[in-house]
Amino acid sequence: MKIINEAIKKGQTALSEFESKQLLASYGIPVTREALLEKEGNLIKTADDIGYPIVIKACSPDISHKTEKGLIRVDIRNDDEAKIAFNEIIADMNGNERTVLVQEMVKGKRELVAGLTRDAQFGPCVMFGLGGIFTEILKDISFRVAPLEKLDAMEMMQEIKGRKILDSIRGMDAANLDILADILIALGRIGLENKNIKEIDINPLILSGGKPVAVDALVVLGV
Amino acid sequence: MNLIQTNLETMFNPEIVAVIGASDNSGKLGFHVMKSLINGGFSGKIIPVNPGSPEIWGLKAYPSINDYDDRIDLAIVVVPAKLVPGVFTECVEKNVKGIVLITAGFKEIDDPAGANLHKEIANIVDPAGIPVIGPNTFGMINFHANLNASFTPEFSLLKKGKIALVSQSGGISHLLGFLAMRADAKFSKIIGLGNRLNVDFAEIIDYLMDDSDTNVIMLYMEGIDNPMRFIETVKKHRNKKPVIIYKTGSSEKSDQAVKSHTGSMAGKHEIYEGAFNQAGILVLDSAESLLDTAKAFASSEIPEGPGVAVLSGQAGPGLAACDVCEACGLKIVSFEQLTQQKINEYLPPLALRTNPVDMGPAWYNASAQSGIVRAVMNDSNVDAILLLIMFASANANLLRKLSEFLTEFKQSKPIISCILAPPGVWDDDIRRLEEAGALVNYPTPEQAARATAALWEYKKIKVRNNF
Repeated sequence: MKIINEAIKKGQTALSEFESKQLLASYGIPVTREALLEKEGNLIKTADDIGYPIVIKACSPDISHKTEKGLIRVDIRNDDEAKIAFNEIIADMNGNERTVLVQEMVKGKRELVAGLTRDAQFGPCVMFGLGGIFTEILKDISFRVAPLEKLDAMEMMQEIKGRKILDSIRGMDAANLDILADILIALGRIGLENKNIKEIDINPLILSGGKPVAVDALVVLGV
Repeated sequence: MNLIQTNLETMFNPEIVAVIGASDNSGKLGFHVMKSLINGGFSGKIIPVNPGSPEIWGLKAYPSINDYDDRIDLAIVVVPAKLVPGVFTECVEKNVKGIVLITAGFKEIDDPAGANLHKEIANIVDPAGIPVIGPNTFGMINFHANLNASFTPEFSLLKKGKIALVSQSGGISHLLGFLAMRADAKFSKIIGLGNRLNVDFAEIIDYLMDDSDTNVIMLYMEGIDNPMRFIETVKKHRNKKPVIIYKTGSSEKSDQAVKSHTGSMAGKHEIYEGAFNQAGILVLDSAESLLDTAKAFASSEIPEGPGVAVLSGQAGPGLAACDVCEACGLKIVSFEQLTQQKINEYLPPLALRTNPVDMGPAWYNASAQSGIVRAVMNDSNVDAILLLIMFASANANLLRKLSEFLTEFKQSKPIISCILAPPGVWDDDIRRLEEAGALVNYPTPEQAARATAALWEYKKIKVRNNF
């Protein structure tokens, strides 16, 4: 893959969020609408194209844990807020490549996680579970060895303790299991077809209505 | 069949067994191996080998296997590690068909000399295609051949049956064996793989899938070098026999950067579980439920659906079973109209007459009880019956009466029971019922319900995989 080869050439150990999502999207995984900016000049037009509310994030392959470092502003509702957020984030990104990601704000209370890990013995393994802060708190996850069949994907979703999050609850639509299954199958394919991907982490994978969207993603490279 | 498989068949059914390192000294494992073979009733020839004694356990002993003229099918080796290469070379020369290597001190020790020795002895036997169970194992038992090739003579107390246990741990094998004695679970084979010189889970699965004495394979695993080879082997057999597993050992601490959740969450254990599921292996979460499940597979048919009828002599145990059933994906079904009518004839309105059925009011009326069981057995909504009966002093003869019609049914649908009495009171009756194939009994209603759920879980796996 071109994105991966170029990143490796530049000495990156991971793809940036923007690159990660381009890779995922090329395998049919739904990702947030977003654009990468270097200058404030394009900000307002980009924000208008995406449509408020938006999210602005620092975006550099060298920066992970954006939340912990305060490099994310969410629920930005107008041009003024966008300008302030943009400049604050640029100022805080000292030392790093100063690119900023402007993306749609995906509404949805249900956060899932999906990912890939390359195990020395099992090869690429796909992971699914509860996302956001619950990933770390509950560790409610399941795995399958790639390649995945649709049944495998369906089962791993039913295997987590919090499976009811996928149902129609409290007025929210039931999760679209077909799209979720396709995402998990695609992750397995990415692992099998790209030997220099060590890990993929889509967290959160937010259910917007019933449709899953990759809101943050990280692809870790390695040999 | 490849050479290892052919030789495995011979080593599990040998006619001549040598114990290399046999001893008359009860402080030595070689003593206990001899005791196992002799007290276990092995009917073939036992050849003690020890250069220090002309006679061991009253049998003529030989300084080495080369001094014995006839062939040797199985060699059980209990000599110190440093002598093993020499012994193995002799085994190859003698054309021994299989080896149980009880000796420890190979790959499992910290000293790299152990790993080197491991490689050295593998290089001696591998070209000859001699399967080696071990090193660092208690041994193996083939119950149907009265062959106790282990250092634990007491394994021979277990009854002959259909369960094969394959374990990576000697401790867990003993635990399961002793539990099984209490639970009356019956075995075809117990195999301690130890440190798996050339017989790993994959080879044993291949062997047991074709073993007519075995109808369920239960595994205890901690972690193996090549799990995908095992997974592919199980897959290949397409659920010909149920494979059930209990795996311990939480994740190794990975040294990879904690950049990604997926990476740090990749507990090896969860990956193993995912792979087991993909191969159609039923995963259990304790030694107890592993054994309970094996017992159910060995003695019961697999229910066609999730519909359960809970019939209890007292309401409480029935409710306990219902809770577990619902939590584990079984359904406490409504009865068909005809069934319900019949139950209503047998039971007064004060009892719980819909599912779960409290048969208490018919407590002293065996024909009413039999009528209820019969009606439920014929109900097409019901796929399995949970029968829960606590002993009462006033009703000590109940089980004898129930036995008559339960035996007649022969589980035309699975009957999983918790029939419980003070020790010694109903034990023989329950054993007879189990031996007649009338039911499978457990010490608690929860265990009975969980065993039923495991059978249903396996049915789903089979259906899903179209096997």
